[in-house]
Amino acid sequence: MSGALRFNAMHFMPYVHLPENHKDYKSLWVSFPNKYFDPEKGHALYNRYLSEMVLADKLGFDALVVNEHHNTVYSMMATPNLIAAALVPQTTNARICVWGTPPNFMLPNRLAEEYAILDVMSKGRLEIALPLGTGMEYWSNPVNPATAREKFKESLKIMLQAWTEDGPTTHYGQFYTYRFLNPWPRPYQRPHPPCYIVGTGSPETIEIAAELGFGYASVFVTQQRAKELNDTLRQRAAHYGHQLRPDQFPLLTFVYVAETEERARQEYVGHLQRFFEDYARTTPQYLAPPGYLSVDQLKQRAAMADKMHGGFDFDAISKSFFIAVGTPDQVANKIGEWSQWMKTDHINCVMHIADMPHWKTVKNLTLMAEEVFPRLRARVQPSLRAAAE
Amino acid sequence: MGKFARETYTVNGVKTVVYTAGSGDPLVFFHGAGTVDGFDFAEPWAERFKVILPYHPGFGESDDDPSYTDLHDYVMHYLELFDALQLDRFNLVGLSLGGCLAAKFASEHGHRVRKLGLIAPAGMIDPMNPILDLLAVPGEQVPELLVSNFDVLKKHLPEKPDLDFIGDRYREATTVARLLWERPGDPKFMRYLHRIKMPTMIVWGDEDKIIPVGQAETWRRFIPNADIRVYRGAGHLVHLERSEVVDALGCFLG
Repeated sequence: MSGALRFNAMHFMPYVHLPENHKDYKSLWVSFPNKYFDPEKGHALYNRYLSEMVLADKLGFDALVVNEHHNTVYSMMATPNLIAAALVPQTTNARICVWGTPPNFMLPNRLAEEYAILDVMSKGRLEIALPLGTGMEYWSNPVNPATAREKFKESLKIMLQAWTEDGPTTHYGQFYTYRFLNPWPRPYQRPHPPCYIVGTGSPETIEIAAELGFGYASVFVTQQRAKELNDTLRQRAAHYGHQLRPDQFPLLTFVYVAETEERARQEYVGHLQRFFEDYARTTPQYLAPPGYLSVDQLKQRAAMADKMHGGFDFDAISKSFFIAVGTPDQVANKIGEWSQWMKTDHINCVMHIADMPHWKTVKNLTLMAEEVFPRLRARVQPSLRAAAE
Repeated sequence: MGKFARETYTVNGVKTVVYTAGSGDPLVFFHGAGTVDGFDFAEPWAERFKVILPYHPGFGESDDDPSYTDLHDYVMHYLELFDALQLDRFNLVGLSLGGCLAAKFASEHGHRVRKLGLIAPAGMIDPMNPILDLLAVPGEQVPELLVSNFDVLKKHLPEKPDLDFIGDRYREATTVARLLWERPGDPKFMRYLHRIKMPTMIVWGDEDKIIPVGQAETWRRFIPNADIRVYRGAGHLVHLERSEVVDALGCFLG
């Protein structure tokens, strides 16, 4: 890492050629007909998006972030390890973050193997996140949402055992039996690549991160909620004897940098609106398959959804979520303030969103790297340094 | 719950609520995969039977037990509950998923079941007449699929679903998901149905949108002596739509 703050470039790799009638569909996830995927257009998009990630590496982003979703235009990365494998030989410095494949959708030994392969291939540049997976993924994969959390915990245990104990070992659990847990290769980084838990703040998931001493990346929660989750995790991790470092709390922010604030808004806001209204559009049923949430959590979220009715309002969204859109100074100031407030030095920047065209993505990546990084890296972050030591 | 008395039993650690009324031969009713339809329909039975209406674990007023992941866990639960209730032999009626459970219980413990009544029972794997996978249907669309005449169900539903109602339905769907998410049908279920030898009546609405009435004939293949009655113009909750269904079952079991 080349400065006080670490910057990731995150990409969702959405399928942007939505049919004209897409508003007829309540969800662009799970059941949105896959006849609308055109492989010719998909081919061009994969090439374009990979080139944007490669550019981010060249420009000096510290890490590239990919993740997994199924049956949706929101993301074309149903198997993000394939994307990561394509990035490894095309990049040199950036860490490769697969944030990540839900272990529930793979055999745990096989996921441990795939991550180890990426880690060895990249000479230890891999970082991984271990998500439970959104509710939507449980409609798309043949895995029971009602037992997802137990299965998730068991999968994690198997993966960590595979990485931290000399094989062959055995595992006799509720979901899996391993008579010879002995995966080849083993990870390059010892004992294993840095791990994060990622989620939207279920207490059960925070507790898993706390117990294992993993970082936690909250996604799609408000600033206030993200702060609360970080504080809770620090407390709970301490309870298990883990002192978490600032970099274990990646702060997810949507970023767009332009010459003026007005221009930044003009070039960005429409894409952000379509991200929330179209690409992320799904139904309460798909968000919460039976048993995916506790009944209390379900009721809390249903109550929240009731309150969130109303159209897209950029100013309101900017106030409640981490959204940095403006001039290099404005973006640097916002990120600087947030990192202090959130006690983190790890900034996970979504640099492309929805149907943002290539030129804007290139512009955004370039201005971020050339104008915003120097402003932030010049700053001393004494409180964070102290916290880290 | 009108004339029914509420009793609570702890069965192998699970609080189980049972409503009872009447006297005479015992009649146990197994509800289906949800409980919004209620037990009111069973009141006429109390005039000639000791009616016993348990809530399955994970439904209605009974507690959860997340370790119940197989219908067989419910068979074991009821063996223990019936011991607690000192029920040796009894009439057994089951609706939908409760019908599947009743048939499974009867195929395994036939000597305990005097007569068997099945109302649009689930459990049959019948590719020509496939069951609607309710787990895939948005919750708000489920009620209208349950009946032909919505008025009979309406009185059991809130005007606008509040958080408690939504939470209750989610909890019951969770219980069902534990049993059926990965495998909505158990091929072994049909394999042992031939063991059902007690007098059996099967009733169905010919407009059933959940389990097609065509499955009634499939049941006949497994239980050749069953008295099968089809009611015109009625849906899945045929016993709510037609009071004569309750009467017919009462006569048959009497």
